[in-house]
Amino acid sequence: MKLMASKIALGLCAAFIAQGALAQQDTLKIGALVTLSGPGAAWGQAMKNAAELAADKVNAEGGLEVGGKRYKVVVIPYDDKYQANEAVTVANRMIHEDKIKYVIGPLGSAPALAVQPLTEKNGVITMTMGFTPRALSPEKPYSFRAVVTTAEFSQPQIDWVVKKEGIKKVGGLFPNDESGQAIAKDLQSSYSKAGADLTSEFFERERVDFVPLLTRLFARGIDAIELDGNSPATAGLIVKQARELGFKGKIIRTGGPATADIVNVAGKQAANGMLVHSVLDPNLPSTKAYMDAYQQKYKAPMNGFSPSFYDATNMMFEAMKRAGTVEDTKKVRDELAKLENFPGSLGVLNWTGKESYGSNQQLDLPFYVAEIKDGQEVILARCNTKGCQ
Amino acid sequence: MDYGILIAQATINGLIVGLLYLLMAIGFTLVFGVMRMVNFAHGEFYMLGAMAVYVFTVHMELPFLVAVCLSFVVAIVFGSLVEWVVFKPFRHDELNGMIATIGLAMILQNLALIIFGPDPLSVPPVAQGVTQISGVYIPNSRIFVVFFAVLVLALLYFYLKKTRSGRALRAVVEDFKIASIQGISSKVYYPLGFGVGVGLAAIAGALMAPLFSVSPFVGAAPLLKAFMVVILGGLGSIPGAAVAGLALGLIESYASLFLSASTADMLIFLVVMIMLVLMPRGILGKGEV
Repeated sequence: MKLMASKIALGLCAAFIAQGALAQQDTLKIGALVTLSGPGAAWGQAMKNAAELAADKVNAEGGLEVGGKRYKVVVIPYDDKYQANEAVTVANRMIHEDKIKYVIGPLGSAPALAVQPLTEKNGVITMTMGFTPRALSPEKPYSFRAVVTTAEFSQPQIDWVVKKEGIKKVGGLFPNDESGQAIAKDLQSSYSKAGADLTSEFFERERVDFVPLLTRLFARGIDAIELDGNSPATAGLIVKQARELGFKGKIIRTGGPATADIVNVAGKQAANGMLVHSVLDPNLPSTKAYMDAYQQKYKAPMNGFSPSFYDATNMMFEAMKRAGTVEDTKKVRDELAKLENFPGSLGVLNWTGKESYGSNQQLDLPFYVAEIKDGQEVILARCNTKGCQ
Repeated sequence: MDYGILIAQATINGLIVGLLYLLMAIGFTLVFGVMRMVNFAHGEFYMLGAMAVYVFTVHMELPFLVAVCLSFVVAIVFGSLVEWVVFKPFRHDELNGMIATIGLAMILQNLALIIFGPDPLSVPPVAQGVTQISGVYIPNSRIFVVFFAVLVLALLYFYLKKTRSGRALRAVVEDFKIASIQGISSKVYYPLGFGVGVGLAAIAGALMAPLFSVSPFVGAAPLLKAFMVVILGGLGSIPGAAVAGLALGLIESYASLFLSASTADMLIFLVVMIMLVLMPRGILGKGEV
């Protein structure tokens, strides 16, 4: 019995070694260092699935051809639980044991900042979703970001909305905490640059009756309400109560996909005419194709952040091809940063960020201003970091 | 907008919210009066009332009024049953009884979480549009809610003052020992008192469901407000709860008109603390605990 067990163990070891040897020959491992449990798991899944779909695509074509070799791409998921310490633990395993050099993630700002010392030191290319401005800098050449953050989209979007709607005075309602205060400050400067005035009211997150706050804002003669930074449910309540009080002006949400929940809480009628930030145009053929492929493989509705990571993974593949190596990440990194007018599922993509971060490691994605009509988003303007049309 | 209209608007807002506090607080004080213990599960019955209305109107497509009445009946029956099953052993053991209410609150909240999930649900509005009276805007849905809150209070007044069972319940609230000497049975009036008390919380939740959203966590804020109202008004005093409920609604509304919302929230707690120092028995309380 004992002998048999040790034989089996030996066999297993041999199998692993063989597999390992095989893996080094012709597989390319992509790490998906994202949040796969707890709150935020919906985004993490969307990022991991995006990498898997990109891998499926090149594998279906017989593998990724780099420097005369064909590689089978495999995506290995790592769960950081949206925690910095957990992210460092799994990043260590990913880099030192699994020898992974290309990573989709980390998802959150805190995990992103926590793993960067490791990934930068080991020349591991990361593609984060963390909104913090500190995630990108010339000192972090291997860190890229594949979503546009408030810093990128708020100014063009607000410029467009203020001009189109002729808005002068905006009343903002924000939760009274770190993120609410920060958003209010950013938006205030964006609105004043656009030529409008934002007055903010702060409230405790558990508040449900907004009638007194709205009365106070209406008394100042506001002609629009800004709801960025509020949870979807709270935003829905504010929309409902503002309309009940007879507010006729525009209600704007600069950022944070939440349309379905807002319509759910406020009702279709109250949500009508609301101007919201939207990350994708489902009518664009390439986006539609990705959404269909996603639906077909995962049988679940796609999160809006998924397509940009699909594009980012494809951009990494393209950079490897151009560099002619998967081992020398310095070369791959340089080729990746050089990519221009890349045809992605979201449109034609470039890098930006020189002005804000000191180097071009921010993906310049299109985004949209949409109006809610009968519970659905209808796109009014197409934007990029330079402006809206 | 000039100040006259603003203050009128704030007064109306305050009275509407005050009526909600009033309904919550009267139920709370009834339970306290009968059982001599603080019911920490009171907010969860508010949540249950709101959830019941959601189920009755959205899933079963009953008219709103029928839904409110049904949720009241359900809450009275369920509340009486809970008193009879859970709180009976604690009838003369108030401290452990209070801890049992905390447990009950957790169980109810988590059951709702399992059944309905954490996302907020929406109940369709009961009335559309807004009524404007000389510059003051009142949403029609709130007029509707106020009308029914007043109706419920009138019925409650009639029940407590004029009917035999209501008078018996009041006697139990005033002094249980003397009431029982007069032949009032604890077997009936303990569960009934608890049932009517939490029924009022459920009706408050049911009426507010179309104004706010419904989720398993909506009970916490009304519980806190009911607690404050009851402390301000005097524990166990129904007229005290009435005065304090409306007063708290008005103070909140005026405060958030002139101060920022966070300062207003702080101010309200300050008012409660000052009241406790100056009038520890509450506005109309007799100070017996």
